[in-house]
Amino acid sequence: MQQFSVHKIGPEIKIAGIDLSFTNASLFMIISMAIILLFLFLGTKERKIIPDKIQLIAEMLYNFVAKMISDTAGSKAKPYFPFIFSLFMFVLLCNMVGMLPYAFTVTSHIIVTLIMALFVFIAVTIIGFFKHGFKYLSIFVPSGVPAVLLPLITIIEIISYLSRPVSLSVRLFANMMAGHTMLKVFGGFVISLGILGGWLPLSFSVALTGLEILVAFLQAYVFAILTCIYLNDALNLHH
Amino acid sequence: MKRYLALILVLSTICTNLFAAEAGMPQLDPKYWASQAFWLILVFSILYISIAKIYLPKIKSNLDDRENKIKEDLDEASKLKNLSEKKIKEYEIILENSKKEVTKILLVSKNTLNKNIQNKKASMEKEIENEISKAQKEILEMKKNSINSIHNISQEIASNIIEKISGDKLNESSTRAVIEDVAKKNIGKYL
Repeated sequence: MQQFSVHKIGPEIKIAGIDLSFTNASLFMIISMAIILLFLFLGTKERKIIPDKIQLIAEMLYNFVAKMISDTAGSKAKPYFPFIFSLFMFVLLCNMVGMLPYAFTVTSHIIVTLIMALFVFIAVTIIGFFKHGFKYLSIFVPSGVPAVLLPLITIIEIISYLSRPVSLSVRLFANMMAGHTMLKVFGGFVISLGILGGWLPLSFSVALTGLEILVAFLQAYVFAILTCIYLNDALNLHH
Repeated sequence: MKRYLALILVLSTICTNLFAAEAGMPQLDPKYWASQAFWLILVFSILYISIAKIYLPKIKSNLDDRENKIKEDLDEASKLKNLSEKKIKEYEIILENSKKEVTKILLVSKNTLNKNIQNKKASMEKEIENEISKAQKEILEMKKNSINSIHNISQEIASNIIEKISGDKLNESSTRAVIEDVAKKNIGKYL
Protein backbone atom coordinates (compact mmCIF):
# COMPACT_ATOMS: atom_id res chain seq x y z
CA MET A 1 0.00 0.00 0.00
CA GLN A 2 3.06 2.16 0.16
CA GLN A 3 2.54 3.20 -3.46
CA PHE A 4 -0.63 5.04 -2.45
CA SER A 5 0.85 6.98 0.44
CA VAL A 6 0.92 10.74 0.23
CA HIS A 7 3.91 12.61 1.57
CA LYS A 8 4.92 16.19 1.75
CA ILE A 9 7.37 17.72 -0.71
CA GLY A 10 9.03 20.95 0.37
CA PRO A 11 7.89 23.22 3.21
CA GLU A 12 4.61 22.92 5.00
CA ILE A 13 2.00 25.35 3.75
CA LYS A 14 -0.73 26.18 6.23
CA ILE A 15 -3.55 28.54 5.40
CA ALA A 16 -6.10 29.31 8.10
CA GLY A 17 -4.98 26.29 10.08
CA ILE A 18 -5.51 23.88 7.18
CA ASP A 19 -2.56 21.90 5.88
CA LEU A 20 -2.30 22.62 2.16
CA SER A 21 1.27 21.40 1.71
CA PHE A 22 2.61 20.49 -1.70
CA THR A 23 2.63 16.68 -1.86
CA ASN A 24 3.55 14.00 -4.34
CA ALA A 25 -0.17 13.91 -5.28
CA SER A 26 0.00 17.60 -6.16
CA LEU A 27 3.20 16.98 -8.09
CA PHE A 28 1.61 14.30 -10.24
CA MET A 29 -1.50 16.43 -10.80
CA ILE A 30 0.79 19.14 -12.12
CA ILE A 31 2.73 16.62 -14.23
CA SER A 32 -0.50 15.35 -15.78
CA MET A 33 -1.65 18.89 -16.44
CA ALA A 34 1.72 19.82 -17.92
CA ILE A 35 1.63 16.83 -20.26
CA ILE A 36 -1.88 17.73 -21.42
CA LEU A 37 -0.98 21.37 -21.97
CA LEU A 38 2.27 20.52 -23.73
CA PHE A 39 0.50 18.04 -25.94
CA LEU A 40 -2.24 20.54 -26.81
CA PHE A 41 0.36 23.25 -27.36
CA LEU A 42 2.26 21.06 -29.81
CA GLY A 43 -0.98 19.89 -31.36
CA THR A 44 -2.23 23.40 -32.07
CA LYS A 45 1.09 25.10 -32.80
CA GLU A 46 1.24 24.76 -36.57
CA ARG A 47 -2.45 24.50 -37.50
CA LYS A 48 -1.82 22.96 -40.87
CA ILE A 49 -4.54 22.03 -43.32
CA ILE A 50 -2.94 18.62 -43.63
CA PRO A 51 -2.13 17.81 -39.99
CA ASP A 52 1.05 16.24 -38.71
CA LYS A 53 0.89 13.34 -36.25
CA ILE A 54 0.51 15.23 -32.99
CA GLN A 55 -2.00 17.65 -34.48
CA LEU A 56 -3.96 14.71 -35.82
CA ILE A 57 -4.07 13.11 -32.36
CA ALA A 58 -5.28 16.36 -30.80
CA GLU A 59 -7.98 16.70 -33.42
CA MET A 60 -8.99 13.07 -33.07
CA LEU A 61 -9.37 13.54 -29.31
CA TYR A 62 -11.41 16.68 -29.94
CA ASN A 63 -13.69 14.84 -32.35
CA PHE A 64 -13.89 11.85 -30.04
CA VAL A 65 -15.10 13.91 -27.08
CA ALA A 66 -17.31 16.07 -29.28
CA LYS A 67 -18.99 12.99 -30.74
CA MET A 68 -19.38 11.47 -27.30
CA ILE A 69 -21.16 14.60 -26.05
CA SER A 70 -23.38 15.05 -29.08
CA ASP A 71 -24.33 11.36 -29.03
CA THR A 72 -25.27 11.24 -25.37
CA ALA A 73 -26.33 14.75 -24.43
CA GLY A 74 -27.29 16.35 -27.72
CA SER A 75 -26.51 19.78 -29.07
CA LYS A 76 -27.63 21.58 -25.89
CA ALA A 77 -24.52 20.29 -24.11
CA LYS A 78 -22.17 22.23 -26.34
CA PRO A 79 -21.30 24.92 -23.75
CA TYR A 80 -20.07 22.18 -21.41
CA PHE A 81 -17.76 20.68 -24.00
CA PRO A 82 -14.56 22.32 -22.63
CA PHE A 83 -15.34 21.07 -19.14
CA ILE A 84 -15.95 17.48 -20.25
CA PHE A 85 -12.91 17.58 -22.51
CA SER A 86 -10.76 18.81 -19.60
CA LEU A 87 -12.25 16.22 -17.28
CA PHE A 88 -11.66 13.39 -19.73
CA MET A 89 -8.11 14.47 -20.48
CA PHE A 90 -7.25 15.00 -16.81
CA VAL A 91 -8.59 11.64 -15.66
CA LEU A 92 -7.01 9.89 -18.65
CA LEU A 93 -3.61 11.44 -18.09
CA CYS A 94 -3.70 10.87 -14.31
CA ASN A 95 -4.50 7.21 -14.93
CA MET A 96 -1.86 6.85 -17.63
CA VAL A 97 0.87 8.65 -15.68
CA GLY A 98 0.03 6.35 -12.78
CA MET A 99 0.94 3.37 -14.95
CA LEU A 100 4.58 4.47 -15.04
CA PRO A 101 6.82 2.75 -12.50
CA TYR A 102 7.41 4.78 -9.31
CA ALA A 103 4.64 7.16 -10.32
CA PHE A 104 1.82 8.17 -8.04
CA THR A 105 -1.74 7.60 -9.25
CA VAL A 106 -3.75 10.68 -8.43
CA THR A 107 -7.05 9.01 -9.29
CA SER A 108 -6.45 6.14 -6.90
CA HIS A 109 -7.42 8.47 -4.06
CA ILE A 110 -11.07 8.55 -3.13
CA ILE A 111 -10.90 12.19 -2.11
CA VAL A 112 -9.80 13.27 -5.58
CA THR A 113 -12.42 11.28 -7.46
CA LEU A 114 -15.07 12.25 -4.92
CA ILE A 115 -14.40 15.93 -5.40
CA MET A 116 -14.66 15.59 -9.16
CA ALA A 117 -17.81 13.50 -8.91
CA LEU A 118 -19.35 15.87 -6.38
CA PHE A 119 -18.56 18.82 -8.56
CA VAL A 120 -20.25 17.11 -11.52
CA PHE A 121 -23.22 16.13 -9.37
CA ILE A 122 -23.74 19.59 -7.87
CA ALA A 123 -23.18 21.32 -11.22
CA VAL A 124 -25.64 19.02 -12.98
CA THR A 125 -28.24 19.56 -10.26
CA ILE A 126 -27.83 23.33 -10.45
CA ILE A 127 -28.05 23.23 -14.26
CA GLY A 128 -31.18 21.11 -14.02
CA PHE A 129 -32.93 23.47 -11.64
CA PHE A 130 -31.71 26.49 -13.60
CA LYS A 131 -33.07 25.17 -16.90
CA HIS A 132 -36.33 23.64 -15.71
CA GLY A 133 -37.05 25.16 -12.29
CA PHE A 134 -39.09 22.95 -10.01
CA LYS A 135 -40.08 20.81 -12.99
CA TYR A 136 -36.65 19.27 -12.65
CA LEU A 137 -38.01 17.29 -9.70
CA SER A 138 -40.06 15.32 -12.22
CA ILE A 139 -36.84 13.41 -12.93
CA PHE A 140 -37.75 11.37 -9.83
CA VAL A 141 -41.19 10.48 -11.20
CA PRO A 142 -40.92 8.35 -14.31
CA SER A 143 -43.90 8.42 -16.64
CA GLY A 144 -45.92 5.33 -17.41
CA VAL A 145 -45.57 3.79 -13.94
CA PRO A 146 -48.69 2.41 -12.19
CA ALA A 147 -49.86 4.67 -9.35
CA VAL A 148 -49.38 1.89 -6.82
CA LEU A 149 -45.70 1.61 -7.57
CA LEU A 150 -45.11 5.33 -7.88
CA PRO A 151 -44.00 6.05 -4.26
CA LEU A 152 -41.61 3.13 -4.31
CA ILE A 153 -40.18 4.07 -7.72
CA THR A 154 -39.80 7.67 -6.64
CA ILE A 155 -37.85 6.66 -3.55
CA ILE A 156 -35.65 4.39 -5.65
CA GLU A 157 -35.07 7.18 -8.15
CA ILE A 158 -34.12 9.62 -5.40
CA ILE A 159 -31.68 7.13 -3.89
CA SER A 160 -30.16 6.37 -7.29
CA TYR A 161 -29.84 10.08 -8.02
CA LEU A 162 -28.15 10.76 -4.70
CA SER A 163 -25.80 7.83 -5.06
CA ARG A 164 -24.51 9.11 -8.37
CA PRO A 165 -21.47 10.93 -6.97
CA VAL A 166 -20.61 7.92 -4.83
CA SER A 167 -20.84 5.44 -7.69
CA LEU A 168 -19.02 7.77 -10.04
CA SER A 169 -16.13 8.38 -7.66
CA VAL A 170 -15.85 4.88 -6.20
CA ARG A 171 -15.86 3.31 -9.68
CA LEU A 172 -12.80 5.23 -10.78
CA PHE A 173 -10.99 5.06 -7.46
CA ALA A 174 -11.64 1.34 -6.94
CA ASN A 175 -10.60 0.42 -10.46
CA MET A 176 -7.38 2.33 -10.19
CA MET A 177 -6.55 1.07 -6.73
CA ALA A 178 -7.45 -2.54 -7.47
CA GLY A 179 -5.38 -2.56 -10.64
CA HIS A 180 -2.34 -1.14 -8.96
CA THR A 181 -2.73 -3.39 -5.96
CA MET A 182 -2.94 -6.42 -8.19
CA LEU A 183 0.16 -5.35 -10.10
CA LYS A 184 1.94 -4.92 -6.77
CA VAL A 185 0.79 -8.33 -5.53
CA PHE A 186 2.00 -10.08 -8.67
CA GLY A 187 5.23 -8.10 -8.52
CA GLY A 188 5.67 -9.37 -4.95
CA PHE A 189 5.12 -12.94 -6.16
CA VAL A 190 7.87 -12.50 -8.72
CA ILE A 191 10.29 -11.54 -5.95
CA SER A 192 9.24 -14.23 -3.51
CA LEU A 193 9.24 -17.07 -6.06
CA GLY A 194 12.63 -16.03 -7.33
CA ILE A 195 14.24 -16.96 -10.60
CA LEU A 196 12.75 -20.48 -10.67
CA GLY A 197 9.04 -19.83 -10.23
CA GLY A 198 8.83 -16.11 -10.81
CA TRP A 199 8.22 -16.34 -14.53
CA LEU A 200 4.54 -17.12 -14.26
CA PRO A 201 3.60 -14.11 -12.12
CA LEU A 202 5.94 -12.02 -14.26
CA SER A 203 4.05 -12.92 -17.41
CA PHE A 204 0.84 -12.24 -15.51
CA SER A 205 2.23 -8.86 -14.55
CA VAL A 206 2.97 -8.05 -18.17
CA ALA A 207 -0.54 -9.04 -19.23
CA LEU A 208 -2.05 -7.12 -16.33
CA THR A 209 -0.09 -4.01 -17.29
CA GLY A 210 -1.70 -4.15 -20.72
CA LEU A 211 -5.09 -4.65 -19.12
CA GLU A 212 -4.48 -1.77 -16.74
CA ILE A 213 -3.65 0.57 -19.61
CA LEU A 214 -6.96 -0.41 -21.17
CA VAL A 215 -8.73 0.15 -17.84
CA ALA A 216 -7.02 3.52 -17.47
CA PHE A 217 -8.48 4.64 -20.77
CA LEU A 218 -11.81 2.95 -20.20
CA GLN A 219 -12.35 4.51 -16.78
CA ALA A 220 -11.57 7.97 -18.10
CA TYR A 221 -14.06 7.33 -20.89
CA VAL A 222 -16.67 5.99 -18.46
CA PHE A 223 -16.21 8.98 -16.16
CA ALA A 224 -16.67 11.37 -19.06
CA ILE A 225 -19.60 9.56 -20.62
CA LEU A 226 -21.43 9.25 -17.29
CA THR A 227 -20.96 12.98 -16.82
CA CYS A 228 -22.49 13.43 -20.26
CA ILE A 229 -25.43 11.19 -19.35
CA TYR A 230 -26.10 13.08 -16.13
CA LEU A 231 -25.84 16.30 -18.07
CA ASN A 232 -28.29 14.93 -20.60
CA ASP A 233 -30.79 14.21 -17.79
CA ALA A 234 -30.46 17.78 -16.60
CA LEU A 235 -30.67 19.39 -20.04
CA ASN A 236 -33.31 17.25 -21.73
CA LEU A 237 -36.00 16.28 -19.27
CA HIS A 238 -37.34 13.07 -20.78
CA HIS A 239 -39.33 11.55 -17.98
CA MET B 1 -14.52 -8.85 -10.52
CA LYS B 2 -11.81 -6.36 -9.72
CA ARG B 3 -14.30 -3.89 -8.43
CA TYR B 4 -15.60 -6.45 -5.94
CA LEU B 5 -12.07 -7.23 -4.91
CA ALA B 6 -11.43 -3.56 -4.32
CA LEU B 7 -14.67 -3.18 -2.41
CA ILE B 8 -13.75 -6.13 -0.21
CA LEU B 9 -10.36 -4.54 0.32
CA VAL B 10 -11.93 -1.23 1.21
CA LEU B 11 -14.52 -2.73 3.51
CA SER B 12 -12.07 -4.99 5.29
CA THR B 13 -9.68 -2.14 5.83
CA ILE B 14 -12.44 0.11 7.10
CA CYS B 15 -13.57 -2.61 9.50
CA THR B 16 -10.17 -3.46 10.86
CA ASN B 17 -8.47 -0.10 10.85
CA LEU B 18 -11.24 2.43 11.03
CA PHE B 19 -9.26 4.86 13.09
CA ALA B 20 -5.77 3.81 12.18
CA ALA B 21 -5.96 4.24 8.47
CA GLU B 22 -2.29 5.00 8.10
CA ALA B 23 -1.48 1.36 8.63
CA GLY B 24 -3.88 0.12 5.92
CA MET B 25 -5.08 2.36 3.13
CA PRO B 26 -3.43 5.74 2.80
CA GLN B 27 -6.51 6.83 0.87
CA LEU B 28 -8.54 6.88 4.05
CA ASP B 29 -6.07 8.97 5.99
CA PRO B 30 -7.63 12.42 6.15
CA LYS B 31 -4.33 14.13 6.87
CA TYR B 32 -3.75 15.36 3.32
CA TRP B 33 -7.36 15.46 2.10
CA ALA B 34 -7.53 19.21 2.30
CA SER B 35 -4.23 19.55 0.51
CA GLN B 36 -5.29 17.17 -2.25
CA ALA B 37 -8.62 18.94 -2.66
CA PHE B 38 -6.92 22.32 -2.80
CA TRP B 39 -4.31 21.27 -5.34
CA LEU B 40 -6.88 19.37 -7.41
CA ILE B 41 -9.12 22.41 -7.65
CA LEU B 42 -6.19 24.68 -8.43
CA VAL B 43 -4.67 22.42 -11.07
CA PHE B 44 -7.97 21.57 -12.66
CA SER B 45 -9.01 25.21 -12.82
CA ILE B 46 -5.79 26.13 -14.61
CA LEU B 47 -6.24 23.19 -16.95
CA TYR B 48 -9.88 24.04 -17.64
CA ILE B 49 -9.23 27.69 -18.29
CA SER B 50 -6.30 27.10 -20.62
CA ILE B 51 -8.15 24.38 -22.51
CA ALA B 52 -11.39 26.35 -22.79
CA LYS B 53 -9.80 29.69 -23.62
CA ILE B 54 -6.77 28.76 -25.71
CA TYR B 55 -6.60 25.28 -27.11
CA LEU B 56 -10.13 24.22 -27.94
CA PRO B 57 -10.91 27.39 -29.95
CA LYS B 58 -7.68 26.83 -31.85
CA ILE B 59 -8.52 23.22 -32.66
CA LYS B 60 -12.06 24.19 -33.55
CA SER B 61 -11.03 27.00 -35.85
CA ASN B 62 -8.51 24.73 -37.49
CA LEU B 63 -11.13 22.03 -38.04
CA ASP B 64 -13.52 24.63 -39.44
CA ASP B 65 -10.79 25.97 -41.70
CA ARG B 66 -10.14 22.51 -43.00
CA GLU B 67 -13.83 21.85 -43.58
CA ASN B 68 -14.19 25.14 -45.45
CA LYS B 69 -11.09 24.41 -47.46
CA ILE B 70 -12.37 20.95 -48.36
CA LYS B 71 -15.73 22.41 -49.32
CA GLU B 72 -14.07 25.09 -51.42
CA ASP B 73 -11.83 22.54 -53.07
CA LEU B 74 -14.77 20.31 -53.81
CA ASP B 75 -16.70 23.22 -55.28
CA GLU B 76 -13.72 24.15 -57.36
CA ALA B 77 -13.29 20.57 -58.47
CA SER B 78 -16.91 20.26 -59.54
CA LYS B 79 -16.66 23.57 -61.36
CA LEU B 80 -13.56 22.40 -63.15
CA LYS B 81 -15.24 19.13 -63.92
CA ASN B 82 -18.17 20.91 -65.52
CA LEU B 83 -15.78 23.08 -67.46
CA SER B 84 -13.81 20.11 -68.68
CA GLU B 85 -17.00 18.33 -69.68
CA LYS B 86 -18.03 21.36 -71.67
CA LYS B 87 -14.61 21.47 -73.27
CA ILE B 88 -14.85 17.79 -74.12
CA LYS B 89 -18.20 18.39 -75.75
CA GLU B 90 -16.77 21.28 -77.73
CA TYR B 91 -13.85 19.18 -78.72
CA GLU B 92 -16.13 16.39 -79.83
CA ILE B 93 -18.13 18.81 -81.95
CA ILE B 94 -14.94 20.11 -83.48
CA LEU B 95 -13.80 16.57 -84.10
CA GLU B 96 -17.07 15.67 -85.77
CA ASN B 97 -16.98 18.76 -87.95
CA SER B 98 -13.44 18.14 -88.97
CA LYS B 99 -14.30 14.52 -89.76
CA LYS B 100 -17.08 15.71 -92.01
CA GLU B 101 -14.74 18.17 -93.62
CA VAL B 102 -12.15 15.50 -94.12
CA THR B 103 -14.62 13.24 -95.89
CA LYS B 104 -15.71 16.17 -98.02
CA ILE B 105 -12.15 17.03 -98.90
CA LEU B 106 -11.47 13.41 -99.60
CA LEU B 107 -14.43 13.19 -101.92
CA VAL B 108 -13.51 16.37 -103.77
CA SER B 109 -9.92 15.40 -104.18
CA LYS B 110 -10.90 11.93 -105.29
CA ASN B 111 -13.18 13.42 -107.93
CA THR B 112 -10.57 15.84 -109.19
CA LEU B 113 -7.99 13.11 -109.19
CA ASN B 114 -10.29 10.85 -111.17
CA LYS B 115 -10.96 13.61 -113.63
CA ASN B 116 -7.31 14.32 -114.01
CA ILE B 117 -6.55 10.69 -114.49
CA GLN B 118 -9.32 10.37 -117.06
CA ASN B 119 -8.09 13.44 -118.92
CA LYS B 120 -4.58 12.18 -118.92
CA LYS B 121 -5.74 8.77 -119.97
CA ALA B 122 -7.74 10.24 -122.85
CA SER B 123 -4.89 12.37 -124.05
CA MET B 124 -2.52 9.46 -123.76
CA GLU B 125 -4.89 7.28 -125.71
CA LYS B 126 -5.15 9.93 -128.42
CA GLU B 127 -1.41 10.17 -128.60
CA ILE B 128 -1.08 6.43 -128.76
CA GLU B 129 -3.69 6.30 -131.50
CA ASN B 130 -1.87 8.99 -133.46
CA GLU B 131 1.36 7.11 -133.08
CA ILE B 132 -0.31 3.91 -134.17
CA SER B 133 -1.90 5.49 -137.25
CA LYS B 134 1.42 7.15 -138.07
CA ALA B 135 3.20 3.86 -137.74
CA GLN B 136 0.57 2.14 -139.86
CA LYS B 137 0.94 4.81 -142.53
CA GLU B 138 4.69 4.34 -142.46
CA ILE B 139 4.29 0.62 -142.74
CA LEU B 140 1.93 1.04 -145.66
CA GLU B 141 4.34 3.34 -147.42
CA MET B 142 7.17 0.98 -146.74
CA LYS B 143 5.08 -1.80 -148.17
CA LYS B 144 4.36 0.19 -151.28
CA ASN B 145 7.99 1.05 -151.64
CA SER B 146 9.02 -2.52 -151.11
CA ILE B 147 6.52 -3.70 -153.75
CA ASN B 148 7.92 -1.19 -156.21
CA SER B 149 11.47 -2.21 -155.48
CA ILE B 150 10.44 -5.88 -155.71
CA HIS B 151 8.95 -5.12 -159.12
CA ASN B 152 12.10 -3.41 -160.20
CA ILE B 153 14.31 -6.20 -158.90
CA SER B 154 12.15 -8.95 -160.39
CA GLN B 155 12.02 -7.08 -163.74
CA GLU B 156 15.77 -6.79 -163.74
CA ILE B 157 16.19 -10.42 -162.76
CA ALA B 158 13.61 -11.54 -165.31
CA SER B 159 15.15 -9.51 -168.17
CA ASN B 160 18.61 -10.74 -167.16
CA ILE B 161 17.45 -14.36 -167.10
CA ILE B 162 15.68 -14.00 -170.45
CA GLU B 163 18.71 -12.31 -171.93
CA LYS B 164 20.93 -15.12 -170.73
CA ILE B 165 18.61 -17.85 -171.98
CA SER B 166 17.52 -16.38 -175.25
CA GLY B 167 20.21 -13.89 -175.88
CA ASP B 168 17.58 -11.41 -176.81
CA LYS B 169 16.95 -8.19 -175.21
CA LEU B 170 13.29 -7.85 -174.43
CA ASN B 171 11.25 -4.72 -174.48
CA GLU B 172 11.44 -3.21 -171.07
CA SER B 173 7.83 -2.10 -170.92
CA SER B 174 6.45 -5.47 -171.95
CA THR B 175 8.44 -7.28 -169.24
CA ARG B 176 7.26 -4.80 -166.75
CA ALA B 177 3.66 -5.32 -167.73
CA VAL B 178 4.07 -9.12 -167.43
CA ILE B 179 5.72 -8.85 -164.05
CA GLU B 180 3.10 -6.52 -162.71
CA ASP B 181 0.45 -8.87 -163.98
CA VAL B 182 2.12 -11.84 -162.23
CA ALA B 183 2.72 -9.75 -159.10
CA LYS B 184 -0.92 -8.73 -158.96
CA LYS B 185 -1.85 -12.38 -159.03
CA ASN B 186 0.66 -13.47 -156.40
CA ILE B 187 1.26 -10.49 -154.17
CA GLY B 188 -1.66 -11.41 -151.93
CA LYS B 189 0.31 -14.51 -150.84
CA TYR B 190 3.11 -12.45 -149.34
CA LEU B 191 1.41 -9.46 -147.93
